[in-house]
Amino acid sequence: MRSRVPLALTAAAAIVASLGLASCAKAGSAGTAPKAHATLIIGLFDPFTGPDAIFGQEMVPPCEAAVKVINSAGGVLGHKLACKVVDTRGDPADAVPAAHQMIATTPDLVGIIGPSSDEMDATAPIINAAHIPFVTVSGEPSFNHTHLQYYWRNTPSDDATGYAMAARAIALHYTRGAAVFGNDINAQANVPGLLASFPKSGRKIVINLQLAPTQSSYETEVARVIATHPDVLFSEDDSQTSATFLGEYKQLNHGKLPPLIVTNVGMQPDWYKAVSGAIGKQLMTDATGVQTYASFSGPAYAAYKAALLGLTGTPDVQQYFSNTYVMSYYDNVIMFAIAMLAAKSVNPVVWNSYIPRVTGTGKGVVVHTFNAAASKLPGTSVNYVGAIGEQSFNQWHNSSGGFEVAQWLPNGQLKQLAVITAAQVSALQNGG
Amino acid sequence: MSLFVLSLGFGLVTASVLSVAALGFTLQFGISNVLNLAYSSFMTLAGFIAYWLNTQGLDIWLCLLVAAAATAILSLGLSRAVYEPFIRRGARSFEILIISLAVGVAVTNLLLAFIGPSGFSYPGVQNASVYHFAGLTLTSDQLVVIAIAVALMIGSHLLLTSTSIGRALRATAENSELARACGIATPRITRIVWLLSGALCGAAGVVLFLSISSFTVQSGQDFLVPIVAAAVLGGIGQPYGAMLGALVIGLASEVSAAFINPSDKEVVAFALLVLVLLARPQGLFAEAAHRREVIT
Repeated sequence: MRSRVPLALTAAAAIVASLGLASCAKAGSAGTAPKAHATLIIGLFDPFTGPDAIFGQEMVPPCEAAVKVINSAGGVLGHKLACKVVDTRGDPADAVPAAHQMIATTPDLVGIIGPSSDEMDATAPIINAAHIPFVTVSGEPSFNHTHLQYYWRNTPSDDATGYAMAARAIALHYTRGAAVFGNDINAQANVPGLLASFPKSGRKIVINLQLAPTQSSYETEVARVIATHPDVLFSEDDSQTSATFLGEYKQLNHGKLPPLIVTNVGMQPDWYKAVSGAIGKQLMTDATGVQTYASFSGPAYAAYKAALLGLTGTPDVQQYFSNTYVMSYYDNVIMFAIAMLAAKSVNPVVWNSYIPRVTGTGKGVVVHTFNAAASKLPGTSVNYVGAIGEQSFNQWHNSSGGFEVAQWLPNGQLKQLAVITAAQVSALQNGG
Repeated sequence: MSLFVLSLGFGLVTASVLSVAALGFTLQFGISNVLNLAYSSFMTLAGFIAYWLNTQGLDIWLCLLVAAAATAILSLGLSRAVYEPFIRRGARSFEILIISLAVGVAVTNLLLAFIGPSGFSYPGVQNASVYHFAGLTLTSDQLVVIAIAVALMIGSHLLLTSTSIGRALRATAENSELARACGIATPRITRIVWLLSGALCGAAGVVLFLSISSFTVQSGQDFLVPIVAAAVLGGIGQPYGAMLGALVIGLASEVSAAFINPSDKEVVAFALLVLVLLARPQGLFAEAAHRREVIT
């Protein structure tokens, strides 16, 4: 038996090494509280391996860009900032111990970007109990009225996205919609809003299918959809599922696709790469998506682009220029730092309550950059309006603005076509 | 009716991909008694070898051959470097199972580290011609995939029944002690099987990735459960059983998707698996499977 130990250790070491290499995790230091002049850690708590690994990978460039901007300006109250990757693997079973380990072994952890919807339910209470402010892009409607004090969300919930998809289709006078969403909780959260608002005034949902993800074929499902003759396809599926489904749709439909309205999932570079490989780049113009509104212009956007371009060693940062989720990650780190300055404290228990005070209050001087905020604080109140625009958190710490409608271009860039205001979505939600 | 016929055709494609993978998986288990859960990770590896070669300008079907050959060698290397040392030290089947799982996780994560999480497609995959006949609609790539599967099935049958290696393989699978006593070099036969199953694994990886249009380093692993299910349904260790099991699972999942919520199509396939195993625990095509240890 003893002779097996070296082999077993070798196997275990190989796994640990490969996992570590894959997640590129940076080592955290031990302890329980931020120390004077210690480097403050922003945790990137998201999937970095597994099917949703792209979620986490997209967090790294904006976090590092924001941290570089902040540190170049002298840091926050004598502290430098750094980003730390924590891999949830997109699975609650892995995410819960990862959350405990992150909290236990990262004493200077002051804020978190994440979790994703994959592990939101399981880990949000853990992070909240540790009094670490966290900003998520999880659209889970169950957090629309949460009482978690350290929870923040500045992107729309998934149920609102369903209404926004319907609004876009109604504006274009489509009448026969096919709903083809993944069977996961995130994708299905869009469906009730869509079903409640689209089938009126002669319009109808001709088929509503749930897809099991990452199957080797969806041809039977495609044949069912084609048989209903839809004039618009509503969808949210992961990139692999979408690529297979749409590739087969094109093959079975004589090389054509119906107009496609997707959610933010379909507005990611990863989705473009996978789907364009399956259907060809020219057909990508059939795909439009609704996602969190951002202007892609103005001083805050210019600062965001400049910060990304200031990164060294990060290839192809241009792919993030029109990604509103990446923009929100950047804004969130800046927002954290500004809240610390306003609170004159790096203690999360103190500065957490300053988040709504430095954003969207209608009071204070509007600032678009960390430098501008640092020059005003603490003497003058500020209202940080970052790359994703103004935020206004409600009593449940949710800030949900409008949506933009964007179209894929054959070159892989997004073109903004229209804006769906929060009022338009609200009108549909109220039966309009 | 037409949707039913269409789904039969689509099921045939799914079954073809599955049968190539399941044949290699079960053939290797039948001889080595190693339930190799790293199999799907090596399918992924083969798919990416073919992708790299394809982007260098090599024809996709030549890429398939090279990837299959490379995976055969890697598979043999895996056996000799990892599994054989454990087996020599008396590791039990369950320990080997866990080690194979560990190898699979390691391979997948190494691929992730070097390739990243993004999706890839074989160049030109969206340009396949579409053919309509007898109520079926299939692409040229799918027809080739079906042809490859049929050729491999016939080739396997001929190998097992008409060659001395095939007879030695069957004898070793039936009773390795007796085979050795009869003068068959069972260690050599075992290594030949690792090569064969590795080649089938590689071919399966490429046809799977052709089938799904876009693939990531996770795509092979997503296919592991249907592969094992097909092998178990047919009678684990039984090559003909694996082919039959793949056909049943492929057809059941696609035909059911025509009439129920497609999200549940795997449920139908696996419910069928359970029902069959309740009635026939040794699988559809197994005389000796019941004597074989799967998990101890």
